[in-house]
Amino acid sequence: MSSGAETLRVVIVDDEELARRGMRRDLAQEPGLEVTADCADGFEAVRVITESRPDLVFLDIQMPRLDGFEVLELLDPAVVVVFVTAHDEHAVRAFEVNAVDYLLKPVDPERLRVAIGRARERVRRREPMPTAALTEAARLPGMPTSRILVRDGPNVQVIPIDAVDYIEAQDDYIAVHAAGKSHLKAQPIGRIETTLDPARFVRIHRSYILNLDRLARIELYAKDSRMAILRDGAQLPLSRAGHARLKELLQA
Amino acid sequence: MRSGLFLVIGVLLGLLVTALLALHGGGPLETSALLGMPLGLLYGAVCLAARYPTHAAPLGRTGLGQVAATHGFGALISSGGLLIAGNILSQVLEHFPRYQGTLALFRAEAPTLSVTAVLVYLLAVAVHYLVMALESARDAEVRGVESQVLAREAELRALRAQVDPHFLFNSLNSIAALTSEDPGAARRMCLLLAGFMRRSLVLGSRDRIPLGEEIALVSDYLAIEKVRFGARLEVAQAIDDASRDCGVPPLILQPLVENAVRHGIAQLLPGGTVRLDTRLDGDHVIISVANPRDQERTGTRGAGVGIENVRGRLRTLYGERAGMEVEGGMDAYRVTLRLPVERIVAAPGPAAAVKEASHVVRG
Repeated sequence: MSSGAETLRVVIVDDEELARRGMRRDLAQEPGLEVTADCADGFEAVRVITESRPDLVFLDIQMPRLDGFEVLELLDPAVVVVFVTAHDEHAVRAFEVNAVDYLLKPVDPERLRVAIGRARERVRRREPMPTAALTEAARLPGMPTSRILVRDGPNVQVIPIDAVDYIEAQDDYIAVHAAGKSHLKAQPIGRIETTLDPARFVRIHRSYILNLDRLARIELYAKDSRMAILRDGAQLPLSRAGHARLKELLQA
Repeated sequence: MRSGLFLVIGVLLGLLVTALLALHGGGPLETSALLGMPLGLLYGAVCLAARYPTHAAPLGRTGLGQVAATHGFGALISSGGLLIAGNILSQVLEHFPRYQGTLALFRAEAPTLSVTAVLVYLLAVAVHYLVMALESARDAEVRGVESQVLAREAELRALRAQVDPHFLFNSLNSIAALTSEDPGAARRMCLLLAGFMRRSLVLGSRDRIPLGEEIALVSDYLAIEKVRFGARLEVAQAIDDASRDCGVPPLILQPLVENAVRHGIAQLLPGGTVRLDTRLDGDHVIISVANPRDQERTGTRGAGVGIENVRGRLRTLYGERAGMEVEGGMDAYRVTLRLPVERIVAAPGPAAAVKEASHVVRG
């Protein structure tokens, strides 16, 4: 074992059992590593990683229910993630652009060693994962998101996009209001805006995105100041630009 | 069709000449008709024949001077011919006491008649050019559609001959994982993969293959995927033996089964069963591929392309004679193909052909 290097605690995430076993065996050959868990799906991965806080995660991209990027979005950026994929040209471009390491299946042991070395370096420098930029780059253009994922402790909540009433900015967080509840997520409002269907969600204010379906009426509050009244009675401020965007959508 | 057209045009021209002689020349109606109708019919034939010089001098590919010369010459010859024929006919009629004065009538009207004949001839040429343009436009359209169909089929074959890279790399990954834990299984997996690739290359180069061979191909595919997915992938087949020798386009089921695994089973953590059924229904063979799918359907990016390709191929190959139905429930998915039964007669191999030939010689 290399002198002085701390043991890296590693989690493997892959929905295929054979692939998990293979990765485990490959990692067993490498010194200074301890595989603490392997997970078969994204929900389990988010829970295990949040609770056990490993140093390094090998994360498969194509998985049921939550894919690798969705898992990443829900993790603490301090956890170093190395993506693993059989074939995904689009994702690979996103990794290259954002200097995020990845492995291709089948995994070359030499290449795996390089990835571990880089991860060790990243851990040592405490360099966070560029989660926001990476997920944005990996997103397929013209495909609005169908759901919003939020983490509540170790648990993942899936909010279908139809259930969202409005989204409110709170510093670097957003509060997603759905079915009378509010879910906090670490994401700037501008970032989530780009993932939403622009025909259904409109930025009505610097701090608010509204689901058009929920709008009951617009009220003039004072001169040049309007409020959007939602079906459930909630009142949201409308900026002048937001009012213009809203009017344009309603007339379309 | 052509003779009908000739009669109509001939009679119309006959009426025109008769009217010219009777109204303009003031001749008796009977004389005018006796002279006019034959001349009209004759000229109708000439106008139809104008098709040939028109085709010989197509617009755009022939100099304007040459076009003008060809048709000017044609008009003069035709008009002159008409005058000569009219003259002869008038002289014949002149012999009958009842038609005295025919010759005088014809000669008086000859200038007007010749000018009219030139104009009618040029009109006929114009009509021929118009018909030519319409015909070539329609031909181009038909050729365009035909070549489009051929190109599409070739493109689809090329597409199908390519192995899905996800499938290939995932299979290789399974083999890599198996080499150390179960070398025997790794070897079996290599053989399965090689067999599948070889089979899909061979089948893909044929027009029609027996359904049984297509089923063998997708069974190989499913066996490979089963190594990767383990207990998550179950396969159930209900194959009507009578359907096995029905001819189907090669690799028509493969994309459907691939879809069922990739967008169905792979998206379900507990997995599920891919179901393949075939049966005969009168003169159709019904083939269905069904799979469970995730209710939220999050991993369906790229789904539908394979299905649309199959639909396109069926339309190209069978038109209205084949059908494809897609039933997408909340948590299940089924694609059903309905193809006309085409029995495949086993093509005689070279050996059989030789045997047959020698038989003929001896017989």
